Amino acid sequence: MSARRLNRRLFLRAASGMAVAVPLLPSLMARGQTAAPIRRFVTMYTPNGQIHSAWWPTGTDSAITLNEIHQPLVKHQSRLTLLKNVDLKSAAGGPGGPHQRGIGTLYTGQQLQDGEFVDGCGSRAGWANGISIDQAIAAQIGQSTPYASLELGVRATENDVQGRIAYSAAGAPLPPMLQPLDVYNRIFKDLVVPDQNGQMPPDPMLAERRSVLDTVGDQLAALETKVSSEDKQKLKAHLSLVRDVERRLSQVPLTCSKPNAPGALDPNSETDMPMIAQLEIDLLSIAFACDLARVASFEISTGLNRIRYPWLNSMGEGHPLSHMDPEDPDSHSQLVARAQWHAGLIARLFDNLAAISEGDATIADNTLLVWCTEVSEGNVHSHTNMPFLLMGGGWHFRTGRLVDAGVTDSATGQLKSASHVDLLVTLQNAMGVESETFGLPAFVTGPLQALA
Amino acid sequence: MLGWFALGALACSNTVGGTLPGQPSPAAGAGGTGMTTGGSAGTSMGGGGAGGALTCSSVSTGVAPLRLLTHIQYDNTVADLLGDTTHPSSQFPAENEVNGFTNNVAANQVNPRLVEAYQTAAESLAATAVASRLATLAPCATDEQNGDCGRDFIAAFGARAFRRALTTDEQTIFAKLFDATLSQGYPKAIELTLRAMLQSPQFLYRVDAVHAATPESGAMTLGPNEMASRLSYFLTNTTPDAALLQAAASNQLGTDAELETQARRLLETARAREMARDFVGQWLGLQRLDGAARQATDVTYGATELVPDWKDTLGKFLDDAMWNDGNVSALMTSPKLFLTPKLATLYGQAVPTDPNLPVTAGKERSGLLTQPAILALLAHSDQSAPVLRGVFVREKILCLQVDPPPPNVVVVPPMVDQTGTTRERFAQHTEQEACRGCHAALDGIGFGFERYDQLGRYREMENNQPVDDSGEVLDTLDPLLDGTFHGAVELAGRLANDAGVRDCIATQWYRYAMGRVEDSSDLCSLQQVKTRFSAGNGQFRDLLVGIVLSDGFRYRPAMETTP
Repeated sequence: MSARRLNRRLFLRAASGMAVAVPLLPSLMARGQTAAPIRRFVTMYTPNGQIHSAWWPTGTDSAITLNEIHQPLVKHQSRLTLLKNVDLKSAAGGPGGPHQRGIGTLYTGQQLQDGEFVDGCGSRAGWANGISIDQAIAAQIGQSTPYASLELGVRATENDVQGRIAYSAAGAPLPPMLQPLDVYNRIFKDLVVPDQNGQMPPDPMLAERRSVLDTVGDQLAALETKVSSEDKQKLKAHLSLVRDVERRLSQVPLTCSKPNAPGALDPNSETDMPMIAQLEIDLLSIAFACDLARVASFEISTGLNRIRYPWLNSMGEGHPLSHMDPEDPDSHSQLVARAQWHAGLIARLFDNLAAISEGDATIADNTLLVWCTEVSEGNVHSHTNMPFLLMGGGWHFRTGRLVDAGVTDSATGQLKSASHVDLLVTLQNAMGVESETFGLPAFVTGPLQALA
Repeated sequence: MLGWFALGALACSNTVGGTLPGQPSPAAGAGGTGMTTGGSAGTSMGGGGAGGALTCSSVSTGVAPLRLLTHIQYDNTVADLLGDTTHPSSQFPAENEVNGFTNNVAANQVNPRLVEAYQTAAESLAATAVASRLATLAPCATDEQNGDCGRDFIAAFGARAFRRALTTDEQTIFAKLFDATLSQGYPKAIELTLRAMLQSPQFLYRVDAVHAATPESGAMTLGPNEMASRLSYFLTNTTPDAALLQAAASNQLGTDAELETQARRLLETARAREMARDFVGQWLGLQRLDGAARQATDVTYGATELVPDWKDTLGKFLDDAMWNDGNVSALMTSPKLFLTPKLATLYGQAVPTDPNLPVTAGKERSGLLTQPAILALLAHSDQSAPVLRGVFVREKILCLQVDPPPPNVVVVPPMVDQTGTTRERFAQHTEQEACRGCHAALDGIGFGFERYDQLGRYREMENNQPVDDSGEVLDTLDPLLDGTFHGAVELAGRLANDAGVRDCIATQWYRYAMGRVEDSSDLCSLQQVKTRFSAGNGQFRDLLVGIVLSDGFRYRPAMETTP
């Protein structure tokens, strides 16, 4: 493996004592050659659709002029791909309301289980009925890093189907971390880093943790024989997670200095929200740089949120706001401002990653991010022509363009939109998962033709 | 019992729990339904109402899956076992929520981050315990190095941690770790053993049914240790205390009288009051209050600024109404307000000299529904929310299901303006034919709360116009409830003695006790609970004792044979 250096402070302390993230500087990390490029993958979610009149670019293919929402990404336009006529066809069926069905299928390609989660409007559903694409990818490329994946969130405080985008299996959602300090404590605090001479100091915790976890594993096995078969499955799942923790003990990154700890913020606070989002993006950037993880999900708020964005002067409550007429001037400008701010977080991530060289390229060149939402237009809860945005992935498909995924039927002349599950297949293929199926078989035909 | 069928009269859309008839859905079960029995939660919402008489001839067993300790249970347990009050669960990933309930067993399984968090918590707890109280935790009067003291610790502390005596296998597994670590000193060996105990499934899960040597059939009573844990974790959210362990050891947790004695004893502890607060928080979905920013023309409060105060005042109200007065009537009508200095100022009261002494606001407030925390919860940031308040009363207080709005309906609260009243702005719902069917029943209740603004302040005028707080309860099929009323105080009086309210609270608390939404196997148990609650005129202690004595709480299904 290559040497990775990250040996300066990445966080400056402001006078207030609160940690302020600064973009990574190119000089912070110079990396050597690697045999095969390391690829990273991110799913991103923001709630309640997009304002389409501010989303779609003018022009065709690579001769496009980006619209309002994508202005923060202009400098990364060559990495960007916008997809037209991709539908969440799988969101049309199964239990649940439109927000539930949308977020449930978005990255799983599955429908929802029956259950008792009630959306704001009374519909009932359970969890999504399958693994999400990030986890399917992590199962392949995340196994050589300490963390197979990182789930990060900003004010994603609905702790039910509407607040989960990542699933390790059917009915097994992965909750996002909402507090940057928790992210730091989890992945950086106990990280053993090389000393000044490049030597790894002995880690006294290592042997202790191993023997304790071995004992825990033995107790799990002792109990397993004495419970019902259903409970036995629970204990087996528990044991495999204990083994994951154990496995991680032997996988310390070669060289990587720790960033400073960020200050504690309030995950529920609308005033802390921008800082939380930026810190999480920065921590994720460093985690990628240190090869602590290669897969992540990033979730900003949830469908039925009532969140205001005071730093943008947007004082509408999220979900009700999204139900306004998209061309009502006030709500239009508020929703576009929010979407622009979300796009700005992607820009921040790619700014960070583009500043870290990796062989002849940068980490940004080896990262693929997909951004979407659970309904196409918030005011009508549609699941057609979803606002999908990809960043990166240039090693697998041509980027920097608007792609129309719709196919015109030669017989009828009708436009047939694509299923988003085909897009998920393309994403997993891009990340090295070769399978041509994913999600519910009824909604997948293979990799998205338009991106081939 | 008032059932969801009542809503049929509302001409709403057609879903009533679960999926649309004929609509396929993938694998049943997860996401919070009942776990191991096949009952459909959707059929049970009416609680055995008009859909035919319920026959309850045999014992109904309920289900008994492994249950992870909830966050509050974890914190209380380590506090009681180790004296550690650092609330380690604050670092755990959030619990998943099923319709408000975060203790739902099916929805809360381990995930990677939780397993890591257990490890981190165990390391910190064990290090602190060994550093600060080794002599109490693992006393050793003889030679620390010969291993006997370690075995004593494993047997004695292990029995507290596992809530039963360890099996020989379990003791051997810990002894192996202890012995292997002893060369690093007795304290280190104790520390690592403790770390392993705190991460063992026997500690993290409540195990109701460790199987017998021979296959079982029929309804099984819980063993004394398992019953001690059930009692303790339900009523006090913590590990059994010495008296319960003693009762279990002498097999005195079998009869109704024995169980009732222990339950009533536990109900007088501080932990039982905390449990009741926790229950109410989950039942009413109070976590939605976190991050609430509220403003009016004259004041602005940022996110979280008043939330701790609102929670504090509600908690004290609940303690008083549910335990001092002790019944549903007091919960629904007690006029007391326990004000923090901030809230006293906001509500125009003198700052109390003693925060535990309430002011009585008899004409303005009556019970839970007029508590500031509830009114602020059920509000938009800049105006009151009649619809949310109406939905809340129907769903949370009366257990009536409110159907979803039809597709593509606009659900935007009207824009605030400074000229009219909130009621006028929301009235358009009932002026439109398409909305009237449902909204008459929702807003009819919600408008009755218009004398409370988004900050929970009482008001008689809004924008220089008198507030109209006339309301109407519609379509509950309960002649004592249905009809017009003026203001929340009058409504509260009507709810205070209503059988439907009592039944609803019984159902909600049963869900909390069992950690799941009830299914068909629970209907008879629920009926037992409701009957006792009603017979006792809505005394909360009777309700909780009733749950303890119900079949669902006392029995478990037979263990299948496992290979």
